[in-house]
Amino acid sequence: MNHRFPNSLRPLVILMTCGWLMPLSVGAQAPNDTSADNVYTPPRTPFGQPDLQGFWTNATYTPLERPDDVTQAFYTPEELAERLARAAARESAQTVLGTTADVHYDFTQFGLDRSQSTFAEDLRTSLIVDPPNGRIPPMTAEGKRRNAEREAARGGRWDSAQDNQLDDRCIIMRGSGPPMMNTSYNSNYQIVQMPGYLMILVEMIHDVRIIPLDGRPQPHSRLRQWMGTSRGRWEGDTLVVETTNFNGKNPFWGSSENMRVIERFTRVAEDSIRYTFTVEDESTWVRPWTGELQMKATQGPLFEHACHEGNYGLYNTLVGARLEEQRAAEEAKRVEQD
Amino acid sequence: MRVQLAIVAAAASVMAGTRVLAHHAFAAEFDVNRPMTLEGTLKHWEMINPHSWFHIDVEGTDGEIVTWLIEGGSPNQLIRMGVTKNSVPLGTRLIVRGYLSRDGTNKAVGTDLTFSDGSRLFLGGSAPGAGGP
Repeated sequence: MNHRFPNSLRPLVILMTCGWLMPLSVGAQAPNDTSADNVYTPPRTPFGQPDLQGFWTNATYTPLERPDDVTQAFYTPEELAERLARAAARESAQTVLGTTADVHYDFTQFGLDRSQSTFAEDLRTSLIVDPPNGRIPPMTAEGKRRNAEREAARGGRWDSAQDNQLDDRCIIMRGSGPPMMNTSYNSNYQIVQMPGYLMILVEMIHDVRIIPLDGRPQPHSRLRQWMGTSRGRWEGDTLVVETTNFNGKNPFWGSSENMRVIERFTRVAEDSIRYTFTVEDESTWVRPWTGELQMKATQGPLFEHACHEGNYGLYNTLVGARLEEQRAAEEAKRVEQD
Repeated sequence: MRVQLAIVAAAASVMAGTRVLAHHAFAAEFDVNRPMTLEGTLKHWEMINPHSWFHIDVEGTDGEIVTWLIEGGSPNQLIRMGVTKNSVPLGTRLIVRGYLSRDGTNKAVGTDLTFSDGSRLFLGGSAPGAGGP
């Protein structure tokens, strides 16, 4: 029996190869051109709204902040191709037996490295477009103090289930936002519209954003949620979503519960939505800052990521940590007796 | 019971395994000092999130069958690309290299899964540097 590549998987090899080539061709497009964007008129829904519906991905290798060795806002297509190749190689690089980095399933075998899937790339050198240096603005003294206190109050990562990171616990990941950031894998979304609402299904890791578009005000500030409370409106062909009322338990780069996020969704091509977000939190940063991601059309449907139901890892990790503590205590006792 | 489980010296060689952005702390769940290799027959594949689990029957030298649970990646992208449970039928012989769980039960993370002839199981290696076909 020849298992080199089972016949059932052969077409997938071709798909994967195409996936690898895709970013290079996408990356060859010109930097975002406002005049060109104005040429495109998005299709309308039956009830007259610009149509954002469909399946989208914001998977990207572009870092949030501009790398230290880069000064320009955009790469040339050649520079981008070279950067992407290096990033893909790093992500799928072999690790060395017996090292902590090696303790993991092979990422490429499950198609989880970004070079093997559709992803949304452009020539930007950072997701942050303002400040112009592509970096998060300096933190205020209040912001530094609050984050230091958070860090000091945090227990050991594996002391208890509650001390595990939020993504370990399958509570929330950064794909949900807002702002909706790319995740390591499964950075996929589905948008569905109806006259009074817009829904965004977030694959990673199970969240649904239901955004009223009927002009209702924000709820009372006492109502605090993991993803805040969002209200949307149309400004021309752009959907603008403002979100406040965060519960403060899932800080975005050190933000407070007073963060306000303004997102803008503009369909700039049949297969692209330009997604920008502005973060305002004067108790955390000295000025607001803005980022931009591309959302590229991808293949649906989204598959359920029922993270809680299958999260054996949390149990295994906690059991492992307790056993390690027990072994360490026994070893210390043995040394003491010697 | 003796199970054919080869514990490989940690410094023996470089083997497959990729650099990833982990969903959880794998090194806390599995023991870096206990790498292993086993061969067995696929009994059940839990295609669940955040991580899939392969149930593999391993025959010991005494003939007794022991079921091992091997952790793999999120199945969503595989499904999107058309890989289903039918793509790797039950009964398929698999060689798993990985690391044993810290709690001493029959669990491990499958750093690398291959067919019994040594070929790679899925699609890994299409990206530059992945070392695959």
